[in-house]
Amino acid sequence: MAKRKMSLNELSEKVGLTLANLSILKTGKAKAVRFSTLEAICKVLECQPGDLLEFRENGP
Amino acid sequence: MKTKAQLIFTTVNVLFWIVFLGLCIKTGALLISFFVSLFINPQGAQNLHLGLDLFSLLAFDRWHYVSMVSLVIALSAVKAHMAYLVIRLFLQLNPRQPFNIHAAALISQISELALGAGILAILANAYAKWLLKKGIDLQSLSQYLDNGGEILFLAGIIFVIAQIFKKGVELQSENELTV
Repeated sequence: MAKRKMSLNELSEKVGLTLANLSILKTGKAKAVRFSTLEAICKVLECQPGDLLEFRENGP
Repeated sequence: MKTKAQLIFTTVNVLFWIVFLGLCIKTGALLISFFVSLFINPQGAQNLHLGLDLFSLLAFDRWHYVSMVSLVIALSAVKAHMAYLVIRLFLQLNPRQPFNIHAAALISQISELALGAGILAILANAYAKWLLKKGIDLQSLSQYLDNGGEILFLAGIIFVIAQIFKKGVELQSENELTV
């Protein structure tokens, strides 16, 4: 988001997610992500899913 | 225009308010009559509440009278508390998000109280049967002693529903955190 100089508000409008849901995703509280959401975010931010997701042992 | 489900919901809510108020009045009346019969006028035991006559039991033994009436009052109070919890459940139920921790906790409490009521009813019935064998007239008591087995059966059903509801809470919270 910083590289694309995009705010959370702008991203939520382009992706079609509410600010609350984006915030849940950003803070790592999300339990699951739909492929459609992941696709939309990657499209807007011009990145790969691996740039957004990270595996950590025993939760965040 | 209210849907059929909303109409049924409102009707059941009103019914439970009536049941709750009725049980509170019954419990209060029994308590007051009980104290009057013990400390003011023993004749009060002839009509504790709507024809409940335990004068022969009081004449037989004071402690048996105290025990039996205490069981009857406790049973009535537990049922009133159950009705109160159901009303609280109705008050905080949100049709859009029905599966929440508070509702699950209330349903669990209702199942625990039903279990308690069932045990109390079984104890009271067994005690009444034992007293009947002593030749004491307890005819009017039968309408105040519920079938404990039936209450325990219902407690079991409510317990199962409580477990399913808890699973529903888990699934709903997972759904809320799915983006």
